[in-house]
Amino acid sequence: MRHDTWLDALAGELRRHGVAADTAGNVLAETAAHLWESGDDPLRAFGPPQAYAATVADSVRLAPPRRAPGGPVRLEVLGISKRYGRRTVLREVNLTVRAGEVAAVVGANGSGKSTFLGICAGLVSPDRGEVRVHGALGYCPQGGGTSDFLVPDEHFLLVGAGRGMSRTEARDGGRAGAAALDWDPRGRTQARHLSGGTRQKLNLVMAGLGDPDVLLLDEPYQGFDQGSYLDFWQQVHRWRDAGKAIVVVTHLLNTRDGVDTVLDLTPREALR
Amino acid sequence: MTKTFVVAEMALREIARRRGVLAILLIFPLAFYLSRRDSHAGQSIRFVCLGIGWAMSTAALFAGSAARAVEPRLRLSGYRGSHLYLGRLAALWTVGLLLSAPYYVLIRIDQEHVRYGAIGLIMLLTVAVAAPFGLALSAALPRELEGMLVLLIVVGLQMMMDPADSASRLLPFWFSREIGTYAVDHTDGGYLTRGLIHAAVCLAALLAVVAAASGYRLRQRSHLRFVARR
Repeated sequence: MRHDTWLDALAGELRRHGVAADTAGNVLAETAAHLWESGDDPLRAFGPPQAYAATVADSVRLAPPRRAPGGPVRLEVLGISKRYGRRTVLREVNLTVRAGEVAAVVGANGSGKSTFLGICAGLVSPDRGEVRVHGALGYCPQGGGTSDFLVPDEHFLLVGAGRGMSRTEARDGGRAGAAALDWDPRGRTQARHLSGGTRQKLNLVMAGLGDPDVLLLDEPYQGFDQGSYLDFWQQVHRWRDAGKAIVVVTHLLNTRDGVDTVLDLTPREALR
Repeated sequence: MTKTFVVAEMALREIARRRGVLAILLIFPLAFYLSRRDSHAGQSIRFVCLGIGWAMSTAALFAGSAARAVEPRLRLSGYRGSHLYLGRLAALWTVGLLLSAPYYVLIRIDQEHVRYGAIGLIMLLTVAVAAPFGLALSAALPRELEGMLVLLIVVGLQMMMDPADSASRLLPFWFSREIGTYAVDHTDGGYLTRGLIHAAVCLAALLAVVAAASGYRLRQRSHLRFVARR
């Protein structure tokens, strides 16, 4: 489907769902930017416009703010700065996430959201600053992170062994995590034959395997349909209620239901 | 040990599912063997060993490249770099031995008056060196095409250069020519000794490169500190 046609349909659906004009404008701008940058087919990336608009409408109906859980600090990001050549991507970024908290990292495309998460995960070096992780880390990359020729259960075994889990624990844990996302991972389907959304579910389940204390999720819902998207947020809330510290990178500025902290990485000059 | 074993198991499963690649890997050395079988039996033995080396290096190159996407997350999941590259090497060495076995049997049946033990030794050493060679290439050249071109150059040089030329000793499979001469032409043990030393040095150097590259790529960055949970 052409981007313009899909975006027009999305705009109409957002109006139909009663999404405020400024919110709808933000969503359309972010979505268009994502499609333009990735070159993805909108139907593949976001699904039908009706379903995506309904998801957005659900997500912008903010839940009442939760009281600060006040758990122990799990993730401390202190004064992170990062430049690529002459372009400063991150400048003195700070973030503290406690047990039982969800932090959303938002910002325009190219604002350094994934770089920030990569720095938190220790995959990218910053020019300045420090990250302290209290406990074990689980990381869900935006793409990749799976082995094309392995089936889902084998991914669970692989990650589980690293976490010191037995085969049975890893497989059962993985299947339980998948069930929470309304996905049955049993069978012999190799990762390369899974749909984009299902592969992201696999990625997400792998990140949560072995009970890590801090979860770093980089736009993990790419390719999810509406139901999966809602399942994803429910799973995030379950993790939060279990005392995990969660950082979710999102390109949807209004996806803040149940989020305790929002870190906006949009450069200040872009906001003026 | 369990972690290394699991990585090896999964790497073997991945390789086993690439049936087309496996078929090509299996047939590839045969082409080398047949190309010289009629004109010079000794050369055909040297060529088949080189074919095995090329095939295994290619397999290792692709296995190393494919692993790059998943290894950072495995590192975060509790693996050390050594678990990952040793597991992958174990899988590749296993595949290499299975690949070599039919060619050893072929030579036993098809060739006479050669030192079979020495030929088995060449195959063993070729597999041992080829796997880290391919992994080292994948570490140095992340794009598979570039790695393939370098492999092509190395194997081409290995075929064309005079083994007596001291520069040819810089090539990773020089030992196969040397031990091959010992096995086919029944020369003195000097050829065998030189070949063994060369293979040992190559193997050690390539393993060091693989370990260093893995250690560097998957290092824990200095800005990240893991603190015990309170």
